[in-house]
Amino acid sequence: MKKYILILMVIFASKAVFGSEINSKLQLEQAIQANHGKVIYLDFWASWCGPCRKSFPWMNKMQNKYQDKGFTVISVNLDAKKELAEKFLLENPAEFTVIYDAKGLTARHFKIQGMPSSMLIDRNGEVKVAHSGFFTKKVPQYEQEIQQLINTK
Amino acid sequence: MESSKNMKNSNIKAALTLATTALLGATNTAVAQDEESWAFDSAFLFYSEADRVSAGEAIFNANKTFSDEEILNLKLTIDALTGASANGAVAQPNVQTFTRPSGKGQYQINADETPLDDTFHDTRVQLNAQWTQPVADNLTASVGGHISKEYDYLSLGINGNMAYDFNRKNSTLSFGLSYFNDTFLPEGGIPNSFASMLIGDNELNGWDDAFKQTRLINEDDKTTTDVLLGFTQVINRRMIMQFNYSYSIVDGYLTDPFKVISIVDNNGATQDNVYENRPDERTKQSAYVQTKYHFDSAIVDLSYRYMWDDWKIKSHTIDSRFRFPLADNAYIEPHLRFYQQDAAQFYQPFLNESQPLPEYASADYRIGEMTAYTVGLKYGMTLDKGNELSFRLEYYNQTPTDAGFDEPGVLANIDLYENIQAVIGQVTYSF
Amino acid sequence: MENLFTTVIISRVKRTLLNSFSCVVISLLASGCANLGVDPWERDLLAKKEMALTSSPIDAALDDHIYFSKEASSGGKSFGGGGCGCN
Repeated sequence: MKKYILILMVIFASKAVFGSEINSKLQLEQAIQANHGKVIYLDFWASWCGPCRKSFPWMNKMQNKYQDKGFTVISVNLDAKKELAEKFLLENPAEFTVIYDAKGLTARHFKIQGMPSSMLIDRNGEVKVAHSGFFTKKVPQYEQEIQQLINTK
Repeated sequence: MESSKNMKNSNIKAALTLATTALLGATNTAVAQDEESWAFDSAFLFYSEADRVSAGEAIFNANKTFSDEEILNLKLTIDALTGASANGAVAQPNVQTFTRPSGKGQYQINADETPLDDTFHDTRVQLNAQWTQPVADNLTASVGGHISKEYDYLSLGINGNMAYDFNRKNSTLSFGLSYFNDTFLPEGGIPNSFASMLIGDNELNGWDDAFKQTRLINEDDKTTTDVLLGFTQVINRRMIMQFNYSYSIVDGYLTDPFKVISIVDNNGATQDNVYENRPDERTKQSAYVQTKYHFDSAIVDLSYRYMWDDWKIKSHTIDSRFRFPLADNAYIEPHLRFYQQDAAQFYQPFLNESQPLPEYASADYRIGEMTAYTVGLKYGMTLDKGNELSFRLEYYNQTPTDAGFDEPGVLANIDLYENIQAVIGQVTYSF
Repeated sequence: MENLFTTVIISRVKRTLLNSFSCVVISLLASGCANLGVDPWERDLLAKKEMALTSSPIDAALDDHIYFSKEASSGGKSFGGGGCGCN
């Protein structure tokens, strides 16, 4: 509990000092922390990315199917202009968390190689699988990977 | 009202999608409700030269992206040509008579006028199909076919290319090959090079035989092989550049069977009009550079191409487009193009009877020395449901220039290098 | 005599131009490329349809046909690259 309060204080302090630039990285860290113990599908997307549009219905499907088994999707939007992302979300609603990172800090941190990019984080907080791009043909494989991590204790 | 029209459009598209997908046997593994449908473009272009050629061209293009960046593109082109085209002979201060390419009929040209042959009424139909798909990580392949038919011309072609992305897709190397085989069956047959154009009355006895004497064969063909090497580089978030090199070999019948060249005396008076003759091979090379830059809202597209070949033709092409967005999803795009070419080695506006007949000669202004410019404007708008409508209006001005030939006698007073002006109008609807 | 001289000079210039062009291309390929470009998430502008190298393929095809019929040069343009860089 103390540790949690300490972290919160640091977060608030950093927000005050560094403003919104650090927000996205911290937001992501918070989100991952909050879901520790669950399998996390971390996805990086942007409104101008065609395959990202294709992946949304599938990510919604996965979120709904496996959330009761300790799984969640956390997505990071990399649009330079938030309005474009919001317009995209109106046409392609997300049933999962969306963190806005207009400056691409998290992308840089994770050394993203392509769009979209996704990684699977296991229950211990380790990145187990990373994908660059979203391919319809690989959808069964993507789902298999999620199932495998869910079943690993 | 609006929504029912939208429904109708999407129903047509959906119906077409089902029909064609069944034909091609492609299985569409849609990811949930993200169904991919066809994207269509329809365009009509009108080209009109003052007092010369007019043409209409219609294009219908269908494009579909399948599950993972696999793209099928089908295109139908129909064009019709009418009007008069220069036949290569020089103007004279007197009325001239020429025989139509078919041998069936003559036409007369007034004094001091560039001889134009108005026999050309032609309709052409062309079909293109192209399939593109990724074959490995960062490697895309594309293959396609082409068929084009006019009443006297058949063109068959295939093409293939590969593109390799690297540096996180900031750089792309591409390599392409294409091969075309064209067969030509001109009405009246292929004329004998440098045979005199028969002038007389085609109704009379003996005409047909005499005309046949001026003909070599009924048909001939040519092949075109092209190699294209390309390099594309993303410079920064706003800018991309492309560099291409192309090498092309055309082999076969390259002469224009409808064109003649005048043989004049020292007074510039035409003594004879003979059919032209060009080499049976042409090797062309070109180097091309293009830049696109995205300003805050405007986009500029600038390109330069240098072409050179073994007919000693050299050309420079500078093309530029500036796209400015307007309110309500509309845009305006001015266009400016400059072109300059040097004459082919065997280009001559006419021959002098005192000189020996060269091996090759052509008076076709299209391979002569010239400068040309195009000024145009395009206006486009996005309609409901994302459909686009655009209008393009262009003005083309071509000035053949004096390639340094002496103009004996009467020819000094005649405009041998007539200026050509054309207006181009186009409407495009994409849905 | 003069013509031969000019021809030789012109062909030398041509060869030099071709060499320089190849050098630029090759050095870009060999070294400069790694410095140029954007991160995969910075392709918002490049992903726009209007930023494609051939943004109006219909116009390009129609124009190519016109200029092929009226002039002695043709083709040499357009290929892959650019865009959103996705997948």
